[in-house]
Amino acid sequence: MKTIISASKLCKKYGKFKAVDRISFDILEGECFGFLGPNGAGKTSTVRMIHCVSPVTSGTLTVQGMDAHVDNRTIKQNTGVIPQEITLDNDLTVRENLEVFAHFFDIPKREAGKRIGELLKFVELEKWRDSKIDQLSTGMKRRLLIARALLNQPKIIVADEPTTGLDPQARHLIWQRLRQLKNQGATLILTTQYMEEAQQLCDRIVIMHQGRILKAGVPARLIEEEIGREVTEIRVSADQDDRLLAALGPLAIGHERVGDSLYFYSRDGRPLMKKVLELDLPDTVHRPASLEDVFLKLTGRSLIE
Amino acid sequence: MNFSYRIAYVFWRNMISYKRFVLTTFLASLIQPLFYLITFGIGMGAYIGKFGGKPYLYFLVPGVLITSVMMTASFECMYGTFVKMVHEKLYDSLIATPVSAEDAVAGDIAWGAFRGLVSGGLMMIVAIFMGILPVSLVSVLLLILLMIFVGILFGSLAMIVTSVAPNFDFFNYYSELVITPMLFFSGVFFPLDKFPGWMKTLSQFMPLTHAVAISRAIFLGVYTRGMIFNFLVIFVLEVAAFFIGVRLMKKRLIK
Repeated sequence: MKTIISASKLCKKYGKFKAVDRISFDILEGECFGFLGPNGAGKTSTVRMIHCVSPVTSGTLTVQGMDAHVDNRTIKQNTGVIPQEITLDNDLTVRENLEVFAHFFDIPKREAGKRIGELLKFVELEKWRDSKIDQLSTGMKRRLLIARALLNQPKIIVADEPTTGLDPQARHLIWQRLRQLKNQGATLILTTQYMEEAQQLCDRIVIMHQGRILKAGVPARLIEEEIGREVTEIRVSADQDDRLLAALGPLAIGHERVGDSLYFYSRDGRPLMKKVLELDLPDTVHRPASLEDVFLKLTGRSLIE
Repeated sequence: MNFSYRIAYVFWRNMISYKRFVLTTFLASLIQPLFYLITFGIGMGAYIGKFGGKPYLYFLVPGVLITSVMMTASFECMYGTFVKMVHEKLYDSLIATPVSAEDAVAGDIAWGAFRGLVSGGLMMIVAIFMGILPVSLVSVLLLILLMIFVGILFGSLAMIVTSVAPNFDFFNYYSELVITPMLFFSGVFFPLDKFPGWMKTLSQFMPLTHAVAISRAIFLGVYTRGMIFNFLVIFVLEVAAFFIGVRLMKKRLIK
């Protein structure tokens, strides 16, 4: 696969604040690439530079071989953006929202009509075509944003936290649609704070924190490397740590104490669980490791404002 | 500056949304100028008698026309644009398409000018029904051009205000400190000759003064050499305000 987006020592500053701090990455054609990170990690700033609505402070960023800058209409013409915030036109109906956008992309009227029909079907909003925006639920608005992002049949789709604030049904529908788009050959760029979302959709991810990339790779492999396969969470007060570490430490590949819980990471958790039963620790959860563990290990388990 | 034909698309978007509240805006843009025409024109005009050989309304109408263009274009590019930019985040989605920030802002200024033209046009129709007619058909056409021109001027000036406005309340400063004084010091309701010297000088710094002077000359068909100066003043101001407004808005939109 060939590289479609390439960043090298990319920086974004707002005044003195460094939102993105010398990051480098390559995104391949046809993959789903995820930017993960807590609030303020620099994910949105990075993707905004990719789709040319925010100027690059320093470093290089190329999209389809072109320099990404705010006046590059060609990149914008080939990119679909599903924004984080709901930026629909409240004065217009569902269909008018799409018609106006089709205009912005110079799509001829007849072709636009055809695409709008197909897209409304794709996001299951046909029945709502003549509704005003305020009659739609949040999930429907998000779906309409997806339809709007696809009007120009983009080669690159940027989805900035596309499922924030949605119920599980709506979230799964959006995931299906995004996977479908990827299968049709689009390159998908996703930012998210939901680890499950990244695991569901992404071929490769980078974990960002305070403007920098902490780790990059394939989700399953990252979990394996950073955490192992299994996690054992024991709710127990900290004064028991010495005793438990002596007993369980040798059976695990790592451990961490956070608040009221002691975490043990392991490749094969069975010997460890046997010991846990012997020690009679009732308040214990044993589960497969997830990207969330990697994320929390790398970015810290304390709150990030 | 990165302008393109897509300015027209932004204008068209506003047109589609406009059709939903066109009637309410007709009422809103008619009521205030109508009050001026009735109270000042008919009420006070009765005491004033003839004014340069014609009824006072002939003096008042060309001034009120331009005032109504100024008001509508200004408010559209302040409140209207602010809602689209801050409340609805419409500009954010616009600039993610091939429409540039410059296109979007210019499209909104053009839209403000169009709204101004509609208001002024409605006033002209009302005046014609009251029997106050521009001197010729050419005058009517020239007045339409002037209204568009003045709409772009005040739309651009309002854009500058919008580009720095933190909230709605901020617009009060502009309307109370700039728009309202212009209304009373620009010779809309009475001639400026009896003003003391400093007030005359002050009024020369108000773009509305020059716009009203041109409007009155066209309406009555009395062209003077002073008009060229009037026109130059607002032309220079308009070009400057347009580019400054677009630039400042772009700075606010693209970070």
